[in-house]
Amino acid sequence: MTSHTGRLYALAFALVVFFLAWAAVAARPWATSTVDPRLKTLAVREAQLRAEAKLVNQIVAQRAQLARLSRNRQLASAAAAPAPVRIVNLPPLTITRTS
Amino acid sequence: MIETRTFRAMGTDIELLVEADGAERALDGAEQEFHRLEALLSRFRDDSELSRLNRDGSIEPGPDLERVVGMALEARQRTAGRFDPTVHDAVVAAGYDRSFERVAPEGDVAAQVAPTTAAGSVWLRDGRIELERGVRLDLGGIGKGYAAERAAEILAVAGPCLVNAGGDIAVRSGSWPVGVEGMTLELTEGGLATSGRDRRRWRRAGRELHHLIDPTTGAPAETDLLRVTVLAADAVDAEVAAKALFLVGSERAAAEADAEGTPAVLVVEDGRTVLAGGLA
Repeated sequence: MTSHTGRLYALAFALVVFFLAWAAVAARPWATSTVDPRLKTLAVREAQLRAEAKLVNQIVAQRAQLARLSRNRQLASAAAAPAPVRIVNLPPLTITRTS
Repeated sequence: MIETRTFRAMGTDIELLVEADGAERALDGAEQEFHRLEALLSRFRDDSELSRLNRDGSIEPGPDLERVVGMALEARQRTAGRFDPTVHDAVVAAGYDRSFERVAPEGDVAAQVAPTTAAGSVWLRDGRIELERGVRLDLGGIGKGYAAERAAEILAVAGPCLVNAGGDIAVRSGSWPVGVEGMTLELTEGGLATSGRDRRRWRRAGRELHHLIDPTTGAPAETDLLRVTVLAADAVDAEVAAKALFLVGSERAAAEADAEGTPAVLVVEDGRTVLAGGLA
């Protein structure tokens, strides 16, 4: 009653069903996904460090800007004002002459 | 306690004074700095960076040559060309073609006047110095002041100090009595320099010559001033200002020093000493 071809189709179908079932079981759909807690900690730490580095860079840039402004002010005032000097009644430690 | 050291460099006597005990290392460092800078900036040494620049017309300079040339060009602009580092050929033509100790004090052959290269183009860009064809630099008018400032920076680590490079003086804090034309000035900061025609002079064919070239003529400057001493923010500025005032003669120099508030002592050839720029 059953033909040879029919048996082959049945066998192929059974194999497909078998492998699909195998794949489904191998995927362990019942298991909950877990992340290594150490990786989680590292990621948090990395984020913290990045935020701190950004803050430090901002502070350094602000201070450098202030230092530049202060230095420019000093140079400008030094250039504008004559160097401090007065005539005194002391024996000289050294002399200037045509260089 | 003031520690001192004297030695020769850059064709002149160098004097280091520092108010500190055990400043040997700082004194050594300051002395070495003079010799190092002389090796870079001297036009009398074939292997100096400056000589290579003058020979080749361009160079990738070290930081010191780059800085000194930059300062010299800035000074040229600031003094409207009265200070000019491109007078090299004019100085040589006048007879100052070797270190001064070896320049003959007398000679029969008349000095030449080189076509002036005043305002000759010098380019400082992309980490290179390039000279216009035929232009050569003489940094003698600024090099000693620069060296005095660098040495003072080194000495200042040990304590208040004064560096005297043959009359070009740099001071870092402290109180330093310095003799100028029979007076004593008390310096606490800044620089002092004297330029004049009473030293570094020689005669050729009966004519008295000196090393201060007027860039507009290419010949030793003719002025009624014998020498000018200027006090400024540092030794480099003082050197530049002293030369710029020297060229214009006593009357104009006094007026300029007063107008700019630059303390200056002008010695005129008739024997007068004029104080200007608020110095009294």
